[in-house]
Amino acid sequence: MLDLYWNAFATVLLPKNILAICLGGLWGLLAGALPGISTSMGVVLLLSFTYALSPITAFCMLCAAYCGGITGGSITSILFGIPGEPSAIPTTIEGHALAKQGRAAYALWLFIICSIGGGIFSVLIMMAATPVMANFALRFGPPEFFSLVVLGLSVVASLSGGSVMKGFLACFFGIFLATVGTDGITGGERFTFGTEILLGGINFVTAMVGLLAVSEILEEAEQPFQEYKSSVAYKGLRDELPKLSDYSKHWFLLLRSAVVGTVVGSLPGGGATIVSFLAYGDASRSTKHPEKIGHGSEEGLMAAETANNAGTGGSMTILLALGLPGGNATAMLIAAFMIHGMQPGPMLYASRPDIIYGIFVAMLMSNVFLLALTIMSIKLFLQLNRLPYTAFSAAIMILCVIGAFGLNNSMDDLYVMFAFGVIGYFMRKYKIPIAPAVLGLVLGDLAELSLRRSLLLSLGDPLILVTRPISLILLLTAAVSILWPLFKKPKLLEGSENA
Amino acid sequence: MKKGEIVLSAVCLAFFLFMLSEAFQLRGQGRSGEVGSGFWPLLSLGVTTVLSLVWLVGNLRRYAREQKGGPAQPPAAEAVAAAWARRKKIALCSLCLLGYILITPLLGFILSTALFILAFILALEEKRAAVLILSPLVITAVVFVVFVKFIMMPLPKGVGVFVEFSRLFY
Repeated sequence: MLDLYWNAFATVLLPKNILAICLGGLWGLLAGALPGISTSMGVVLLLSFTYALSPITAFCMLCAAYCGGITGGSITSILFGIPGEPSAIPTTIEGHALAKQGRAAYALWLFIICSIGGGIFSVLIMMAATPVMANFALRFGPPEFFSLVVLGLSVVASLSGGSVMKGFLACFFGIFLATVGTDGITGGERFTFGTEILLGGINFVTAMVGLLAVSEILEEAEQPFQEYKSSVAYKGLRDELPKLSDYSKHWFLLLRSAVVGTVVGSLPGGGATIVSFLAYGDASRSTKHPEKIGHGSEEGLMAAETANNAGTGGSMTILLALGLPGGNATAMLIAAFMIHGMQPGPMLYASRPDIIYGIFVAMLMSNVFLLALTIMSIKLFLQLNRLPYTAFSAAIMILCVIGAFGLNNSMDDLYVMFAFGVIGYFMRKYKIPIAPAVLGLVLGDLAELSLRRSLLLSLGDPLILVTRPISLILLLTAAVSILWPLFKKPKLLEGSENA
Repeated sequence: MKKGEIVLSAVCLAFFLFMLSEAFQLRGQGRSGEVGSGFWPLLSLGVTTVLSLVWLVGNLRRYAREQKGGPAQPPAAEAVAAAWARRKKIALCSLCLLGYILITPLLGFILSTALFILAFILALEEKRAAVLILSPLVITAVVFVVFVKFIMMPLPKGVGVFVEFSRLFY
């Protein structure tokens, strides 16, 4: 194992990979910092830059962008009071309140150190946990894989926002889309209507570029142009340097938040938003100064930021060990694996440990470099927020087109991207969540193949799914994951009734 | 309750019903004793059809409830005009993108990209002359250098005289 780490460090620390980390990190910070661009959109757009890169360089860039996106969302939160990402809402409440009190630099320092610290903590846990989980998952057969995918899909209820019913509709729509094309077992055509474009199925990278990025630009186009101007005084980070004791006196809170972030982040559906609110809630309950909560509490800010970035390591653990995406950004990383001819999961851990350990080190180095990148780039992002959004939107649209075209150098993919852009726009407009559709599209194929293989093994007896203990446990966990939000929100039709 | 949501749920139901009928034709595909090609699509489309129906019925019930409470106040003229302006903007942006996809194989990447950027930012109601002039040139140049010169992506060169133009650059 030490050899693998040694080789991974030697590879990741090559100049080209360090450059990839820096560029990816800057892009991620920018995507996170600019309202209107999400982390997942940042990762989607970056994919097109990685086609020509070696797998490890590509992952250095994408991992850095993923961590950077989560970190960058807090810059605009503190200085403008606008959360670049939903996960940065607690940071907006506490960080912006501190900034309005004239302590913007102090708030930024707390955020930077805690965010990077949480990220590094979770990467260390990821390094320890992934091999154990992947080795365990090597015992899985088709029934266990099917149950695992069902567990992955069970996050739909958590990702659905207002309406669980719409979330399931989107998820099964995604699963249906995954069936289009040639059947992997019989070789028969399904829903191609005699067209060549659909013969190979719907490429989920193309579909995701449309659903996540094109639709977001179209939705943003509806809004009138807005120039973001900081309402707080900020000259530079040297304004107010925090003392070491500002962190050390809250060491137990920081540790708790990092653990919460890593553990909850590794659960299906446990995205950055949930973990930052969980840690923020914990801080507001345990603080000795409850009167400060909502009015510039350092503890609330530090806890949310630590957990927020710690979620990245947790999400990456289940992605690398089990091949399950926890959300849109990690679903895009699955796309990156596929572009380079790999399928994340236990088999990849066994067959390409160089890639897995390379990603461990890339994640670690991304967090280290992000510390410097964030400090250096805050003023730059403040200026970029004043760029004309019209030109910015056009540039992003070009990146979408190149990203979709570059997959197969085919114009047909652009029509698919356009169609999904329009579908995504209507989904956004009528509050149908996109994330479940993406999950269904990514996991649908694996679910179908593993179910059909299971039924082949059992000669058509579906009980095979519940008579094998691991499969049964996974299915029960999935059932709890699906039913829990329904019990919390008993009205299945809530969203459709109130939308 | 937006009428658009009723229309969308009805369109979804019609679409999934049509696909479900197609899926029924797949039932025979596959070897004897195996789960055939139609099983999984039937399962997913069955669920989507039922959910679309539930969504449509929920929307209709809500609409009927709202109508019972008396006719809703008609929206103000400004609000209607603003809504139409937004729709026009979205339609124009979508058309720009579709047009870009259609003309790129003909004009080549460089020309079509510059034209697209100009059209797209005009559709977004950009009026500043500097942005209108500089954006197409700067963005096209940066994207061209990164993707064609650096990443070596074989982006379309166009046909006829436009190929000659593209060859001046790559």
